Amino acid sequence: MLNPIQVLCSDITTLSLEAKQSANYTEADIISTVEFNQTGELLATGDKGGRVVIFQREPESKNEPYCQGEYNVYSTFQSHEPEFDYLKSLEIEEKINKIRWLPQQNAAHFLLSTNDKTIKLWKVSERDKRPEGYNLKDEEGRMKDLSTVTSLQVPVLKPMDLMVEVSARRIFANGHTYHVNSISVNSDCETYMSADDLRINLWHLGITDRSFNIVDIKPANMEELTEVITAAEFHPHHCNLFVYSSSKGSLRLCDMRASALCDKHAKLFEEPEDPNNRSFFSEIISSISDVKFSHSGRYLLTRDYLTTKVWDLNMENKPIETYQVHDYLRSKLCSLYENDCIFDKFECAWNGSDSVIMTGAYNNFFRMFDRNTKRDVTLEASRESSKPRAVLKPRRVCAGGKRRKDDISVDSLDFTKKILHTAWHPAENIIAIAATNNLYIFQDKVNSEMH
Amino acid sequence: MEYKVEAHRIMSISLGKIYNSRVQRGGIKLHKNLLVSLVLRSARQVYLSDYYGGACLGSQRAEAGEWAEGETMESLEGRSSPGAAGADSCESETESRETLRAPETNAQASVEVAAERNAEEPASSSDYNWPQGGETDEERAPGQAEDSTQVPSCPVPESRFECGAANADEGPQSPAAAAPCCTRKRSAGKSPYAGSPVKRPRPGSVPPANTEGGDASEDMDTGNVSSLITIFGSSFSGLLSKDGAQAEPGAADGDSGSGTICCEQMLPNLSPWSTAIVAF
Repeated sequence: MLNPIQVLCSDITTLSLEAKQSANYTEADIISTVEFNQTGELLATGDKGGRVVIFQREPESKNEPYCQGEYNVYSTFQSHEPEFDYLKSLEIEEKINKIRWLPQQNAAHFLLSTNDKTIKLWKVSERDKRPEGYNLKDEEGRMKDLSTVTSLQVPVLKPMDLMVEVSARRIFANGHTYHVNSISVNSDCETYMSADDLRINLWHLGITDRSFNIVDIKPANMEELTEVITAAEFHPHHCNLFVYSSSKGSLRLCDMRASALCDKHAKLFEEPEDPNNRSFFSEIISSISDVKFSHSGRYLLTRDYLTTKVWDLNMENKPIETYQVHDYLRSKLCSLYENDCIFDKFECAWNGSDSVIMTGAYNNFFRMFDRNTKRDVTLEASRESSKPRAVLKPRRVCAGGKRRKDDISVDSLDFTKKILHTAWHPAENIIAIAATNNLYIFQDKVNSEMH
Repeated sequence: MEYKVEAHRIMSISLGKIYNSRVQRGGIKLHKNLLVSLVLRSARQVYLSDYYGGACLGSQRAEAGEWAEGETMESLEGRSSPGAAGADSCESETESRETLRAPETNAQASVEVAAERNAEEPASSSDYNWPQGGETDEERAPGQAEDSTQVPSCPVPESRFECGAANADEGPQSPAAAAPCCTRKRSAGKSPYAGSPVKRPRPGSVPPANTEGGDASEDMDTGNVSSLITIFGSSFSGLLSKDGAQAEPGAADGDSGSGTICCEQMLPNLSPWSTAIVAF
């Protein structure tokens, strides 16, 4: 069912270009998170302006087989607003840091969205019928003059144009002193965790005034602070296990059965640093920016500045696979430090079968690595190369040496065009790429030809 | 040598980032500032160690070595508790000095911090204090000889080194000779001794950055720069001062007022710092 990357990289087509068409964008339009739901039917994006846009995949049409599966806007709403903490004289950004969908349990969809401080649970529901024939109200909603009511009628539900309603069901506020960087829904579908720089809290989805602190790495004396939490995720199947990554490049697997406060890890995944690569910036580039469990739950995928690594939960002393994303930047770390690019937090993603991993890079390039064949490909998400139905051409970055035609040299990379957020459909070969203010959705051509 | 230039450049860039982070929207980002402080610390270590390896007495003179020299100085100066009181006045005298003192105090502070880490030096640090203003030349001579040996441990040691060497060579005249070296950085009317380098701070005296910062108003530079170096020398605390969300009671409280000023003053001071090195 799922095609290997060989087909993926050569025949990947643009499914639909859901781009905000303006070339001049405001900072508020920059997409800050992308997430498919568990079925892949819905795709949510959050931006720096605090808005969430949900796309829905159109059902396949038998008449036009090539139009199947396009994602169209389903709903847009303002999730978070800028706030001001008067006590600390701090502005709280409305940027959506993460969105996570809850597994669907009824007709409505639920998602969690978070900014730096507050997590919100949103209910997304459809309304396609409305009641008509009230006794006391007329069609416009005004109260009827009772003297005109001579008989009783039973209101009936009549079809109406589909309306998508979004409402905030829970607001989980005041749980964090530091900036929230991750949220993760537990497989028990009742709890979720939120992680900030120094603490991780466990919440119940139904209770907003209380949360449990399960990890606290804040030292008694802040002068001794050496690392912060950068990402956290629950295990996809075991509701007692979760992992969190640190700025020092280590991963800790914790078991909530062991104790209420999981400061002591069950497993520590850490690779010793290569002394040959030591530089001023070694600590920065070893900081893990994202961690994802594989769908199987057996592996962990991490991303640091230059590499992405696959870890086996059963082996703690080193990753089982390391992929160089853009090693040609290693000699340019100083300039990247100056222009702040070295602090960019790239995300990573698994495909549905855990055979291919994907992550973003600069110049609107993104990379995919096939774990089985060890082949990799670099593709570009750009308006020019992504006309609908166009096939993406693999790109190459030339770091000196023989330069082929169409190669991009390292010095001509555009570091303002970075792909930090990517998502892979849970089952099919459909990927969503956020490039600044544009969202690109690519699909495997072979996949679409099968229909 | 290019390592030092590179390290210096990285340090100034890092300080600029920390300063700018205080005005960024959304508050101070703990993660980013932690990483920047780590880079700053690495650069500072390279900068200091490169100095040891380059200009002075060879790379063998590590930070531990400076204490051996310090102890030699202690015996020579023969100061202990009387020095303590003297140190106070000395310190306040230092506070009122000009920008050249800033790097010197930097050096002292960083040395002091390094010393804290390396040696269990009791509070006989007064031994390392600069001789009093009223000292005679004879008393100065051994002090100057020690200067030259102490110099390696200062980050702005080249200036001191030359001053000290000049002093040692010229004996009693050296204070006068030293004075011209340092005069242009000092305000008029200060005693020649004031310009002489190598004031050793007491290990116990630097941490209260607010004391230094709160002293002579005209020399916020000195106090704040030294406290800034202390902050980054010891750890991460200096970044917490301005951010309400992350500030902890008792963690670098004293830095809160001086923090911003540290950065503000540090950035321009870096240039005169390097100028001083080059000049001497």
